[in-house]
Amino acid sequence: MTFKYAKHALLLATVLSTACGGETAETKPPAVAPPKPAPATPPAAEADPLGPRPNVDAPPPFTPPAPTVFRTANGMTVWLLERHALPMVAIDVALPIGSTSDPAGEGGLAWATASMLDEGAGSRGALDLARAIDQLGATLGATAGTDRSGVSLFVLKRNLGPAFDLLADVVTRPRFDATEWKRVHELWTNDLKSRTREPRAVASVVASAALYGADQPYGHPVSGTLASAAKIDLARVKRFYQANWRPDQATLVAVGDVTRAELTAALDKAFAGWKAPAGPAAKVAPLAEPKGARGRLIVVDRADAPQSQITIVRPGPTVADPDAVVAGRANIALGGSFTSRLNLDLREEHGWTYGAGSRVSTMRQAGTIGLSSAVHTENTGDAVKAMLNDAEVYATKGLTPAEVDLTRMMARVDVVQAYEHVASTATLLGNDAALGLPATYEAEAALRRDSATKADLDRVAQRYFHPKDAIVVIVGPQAKVLSQLAQVEGLPKPEFFDAEGNPRAAK
Amino acid sequence: MLGKRFALQGVLVAALGLVTGTASADGISIPHAVHKLKNGMTVILSEDHSLPLVAVNVSYNVGSRFEANKRTGFAHLFEHLMFMGTKRAPTGAFDQWMEATGGSNNAWTSEDRTDYFDVGPKTILPLLLWLEADRLRDLGPLMTKKKVDAQREVVRNERRQTGENTPYGKVEFRLPELLYPEGHPYHHPVIGSHEDLEAATVEDVKEFFATWYDPANASLVVAGDFGQAETLDRIKSYFESIPSRGAPKDPKAPGFPEGASTLKSVVRETLEDEVELPKVIMAWQTPKHFGPGDGELDLLGNVLSGGKASRLYKALVYEQKIAQSVEAVQQSGTLGSRFVVGVLARPGVPLERIEKAIDAELQRVRTKPVSAEELTRVKNVVETDFVARLEGVQQRASILNMYQAEVGTPDYAERDLERYRKATADGIRAVAEQWLRPDARVILRVVPKGKKP
Repeated sequence: MTFKYAKHALLLATVLSTACGGETAETKPPAVAPPKPAPATPPAAEADPLGPRPNVDAPPPFTPPAPTVFRTANGMTVWLLERHALPMVAIDVALPIGSTSDPAGEGGLAWATASMLDEGAGSRGALDLARAIDQLGATLGATAGTDRSGVSLFVLKRNLGPAFDLLADVVTRPRFDATEWKRVHELWTNDLKSRTREPRAVASVVASAALYGADQPYGHPVSGTLASAAKIDLARVKRFYQANWRPDQATLVAVGDVTRAELTAALDKAFAGWKAPAGPAAKVAPLAEPKGARGRLIVVDRADAPQSQITIVRPGPTVADPDAVVAGRANIALGGSFTSRLNLDLREEHGWTYGAGSRVSTMRQAGTIGLSSAVHTENTGDAVKAMLNDAEVYATKGLTPAEVDLTRMMARVDVVQAYEHVASTATLLGNDAALGLPATYEAEAALRRDSATKADLDRVAQRYFHPKDAIVVIVGPQAKVLSQLAQVEGLPKPEFFDAEGNPRAAK
Repeated sequence: MLGKRFALQGVLVAALGLVTGTASADGISIPHAVHKLKNGMTVILSEDHSLPLVAVNVSYNVGSRFEANKRTGFAHLFEHLMFMGTKRAPTGAFDQWMEATGGSNNAWTSEDRTDYFDVGPKTILPLLLWLEADRLRDLGPLMTKKKVDAQREVVRNERRQTGENTPYGKVEFRLPELLYPEGHPYHHPVIGSHEDLEAATVEDVKEFFATWYDPANASLVVAGDFGQAETLDRIKSYFESIPSRGAPKDPKAPGFPEGASTLKSVVRETLEDEVELPKVIMAWQTPKHFGPGDGELDLLGNVLSGGKASRLYKALVYEQKIAQSVEAVQQSGTLGSRFVVGVLARPGVPLERIEKAIDAELQRVRTKPVSAEELTRVKNVVETDFVARLEGVQQRASILNMYQAEVGTPDYAERDLERYRKATADGIRAVAEQWLRPDARVILRVVPKGKKP
C-alpha cells in the first residue's frame, strides 16, 4: 500500500538549485491543440442519465490573509497569522542570507552553517537535542536556499512552549562542536558524491553553472560542490553564523493556533538574549548579468542510461519584477499543469516521457525559466526539438483565450491551497520575509495575478519564454544522443560538462 | 438521514493529550456520514467549511495483486487508461475541463487498491462527480488500441524514470520477487515488466473494466466545503443507475497462509546499479495492515530510524560512522506487510560490516524492551504525524477511503490511533522477535556497476 504510481509526473522538481523565489509557479493549462469540445449532449435516443456536463460557477474570491507584523525588543520582526481551527503551530525563522552570500570558491557555506545549527545547541548535544524535539512530537529543521536561510518548527499547540525554547537554542545558541562538524562534513561530502549519479540533480547543477557562471552568486549549487566543500572548515562556519544570523535580520513567522500574547510571552522568554553584533549586516554582492545565455548545448555523459534528462533554461524575472507573478500564471499554460502544452505534446501525444513541464523560479537578483523532461533515450532529439518549438510558438503567438481563462482559474485555486496547511503557509511567508517583500505581498500578488489580461500574459510570454539563446542541458548516454541532437535545427555544437558543472573535453 | 456532523475541531482533540507520556482519553474522529447506493456503491461525505475547497476520492478495490498471469502492471496501466475518454468526455477532456475550472486530479495504484482523486474550488464539485460517474459508467467498452498504446508508452517511461534511471530504483522491482514466492499476489512489482506491458491487449482492458470497475467494488468520498443533502442527491442521480454485477470476489492469497511468513531461510542477492555508495536492504514479511503487531512495527520503524537519536542512526551513522543514512519502515498491505531496513554504506565500508551492525541492533530490539523514554518519544512522533495528516481535504478524503477499504468502515481514526497509544515496550519486543527473524529474510545488496563480487 506504499508504492504509488502517479498518473502525472510530479510536475518538475526544481530545475535550478533550491530557489526560494517568491513565485515558483510550477502549476498549471491548455494545449497546442486543445482537445475538441465534446458535444454537451450526445445524440442518443434515450435520455442520458448523466445529463449535460454541469456548468461550473466562478470560484468565490479569496484574498490571502496578511499576517500581523510587530517587532520584539531585540529587533526581530514577527509575522503572525492566527489559525485556530486546529491545535497546531508552524514557525519559520527566516533570514535573508543564502548561497548568494557564499564567498567565491566556498559554495555551500550558508548551507553548511544552517546544517550545523541543530547539531547541538544551548545545553544539549546533538543527540540530546534530537531526543528533546522528538519527545514533543515536534519537527525542527534548519536549511538554506539561494537567498535565504531558516529554521522551521511544526508542533502541536500543547507543546509549543518547550518546543519554542528548543527553537531558540537552535537559532541563537548553536554549539558548533568540532566532533559534530567532522561527521557533518563527511556526510555532506558523501551526499555530494552521490548527487553526481542523480540525473535530475546533475542537470540542475550544470544548468545553473552554465546560466550564471560557476563563480557567480546563483551559479553554484546551494549545497556546494565537492571542490568547494573541501575548502570549508568550522572556523569559516562560525564566522558566517556570527556575521549573518542576527536578530535585526530575522523574521519569525508563526502560523496556527497561537495568539499574539502567547507568542510575545514565548519570544520574550526564549529569544530575549539574542543580540545583534555592532555594525551593519553584510550586504549580498550584486549579481552580474547572467552571462550564460548565449544559446548553448551541453551534454553530460551518463553511459547506458535508459532516458535522457533534458533541461532548458533561460533568464526569467526577479522576485521584485511586477511581471514575476504574471509569468508564474503564464507558465501554467506552457508547462505548469497536466494539460499544459509541453506535457500534452511530449507525454500524451507522443509517449516519449512520463511527464514534461516548465517552471518559473524567481530570486532576489535573478530569475530562471526552466523546461524539463526525462525522455526515452531514443526520443532525445525529437523531444528537444518539440520543447524548443512549443516554447517558441508560445512566446511568439501568445496564449489562446481558453488558456487565459484556465490560467486564471488554476492560479486562483492554487492560492487557496497554499493556505491549507500551516507548515506550507509558514514557509511561503518566510520566503517572502527573507526576500524583503511586505507582509501584504501575497494579497497584492494574488490580485495582480488574477487581474492580468491576455495582453499582459502575451507580453510576458514573449519577454520570458522565448527559447532563443536558451541553454539546453542533456544528461544521458552521449554515444546515443549526439547524433540525434545534431539533427535538431538551430542547436549549436555540443559542449561537454562533468556532473559537478565543470567543462571537460569530449570523451 | 445525514447523520452525524462533527465540528472540525473535534478531529484533533486527541492531539491535546500528547505530551511526555500522558495519553489523553479524548476521542478522535474525522467528521463524516456514510450512505450505501442501491447498486452497492459506498458514499462517504465529510463536510468542513474552513476553506472553499472540495476533494473527491474514488477508490476501487483492485490493485496489482488482482492481476492475471503474464499481465503484471495491468492494474496500474489501467489507472492511466481511466483518463482516455468516453463519448461525453473524449480523450483529454477529463483533465482539460477540470483544469479549465480550477481543478486538478491524479491517481495511484498499489498492490491492493486504485485511488482516483480530484480537488478544486468548491464550485467545481458537480463537474468532478459528473466526470467520475461518466468514466465508471462508460469507459471500458470504448477502449481502443490507440488509447492503450499511448499510455503503454507513458507507463514504460514511468518505469524508466522512477526505477531504471534512479539510483537504487531497481530495488522496488526485485524486492517483491525475492520476498514472496511465485504465485503469491505480491510477488511482482506494481508497475510490472516491460514485457507484460507490451503484451496487454484491448480485450484485457475491457475485461478488467467489466470485472473490477463496478459500483459495488468502489467507494466515493467527498470532503470539504459542500452541502451534504444536495450533494447526496446529485451523487444518487449520477451514480445510482450504473448497473452492477455485484462486488467481484477478492482473490486474496490462495494457498498462502495468513499470519505466517512464507520465508523459511535467508534469501540473498546482489544488484549492480548506477550508484555511488553501496546499500544493503533487509526485508521481512510481517502482519497485515491493522493486524496484530502492525502498529507495533510502525513504532519500531521509528525506534530504529526516526531521527538522530534512533537506534540505527545513532549506532551506524553517529557513533560507528560506517553508514551514510538509515531507514526502517513497516509498509502495510491488505494481505500482509513488509518491514524493510535499508542502510547506505559510507565509502570503503564493506557491506558485511554494515550487516553485522544492523544485526546487532535488531538483536537488541528482539531481546530487550525499548526504554520508557524511547516509547514515549516514538508514540509522540507517530501521533503528531497522524494528526498532521488530517489537515488537508485531499488527505482526509484519502484516509476515509483507506479505512473503508481496509476495515470496512471509514469510522476508524480513533481505533487506528489507539493502536499506537496502547502499544507497550514488551509488545514491540515480542513483535520484533516473532517477525524479524535473522534466519528468514531477504538481504539484497546494491553495489556500483562493475563491483559485483
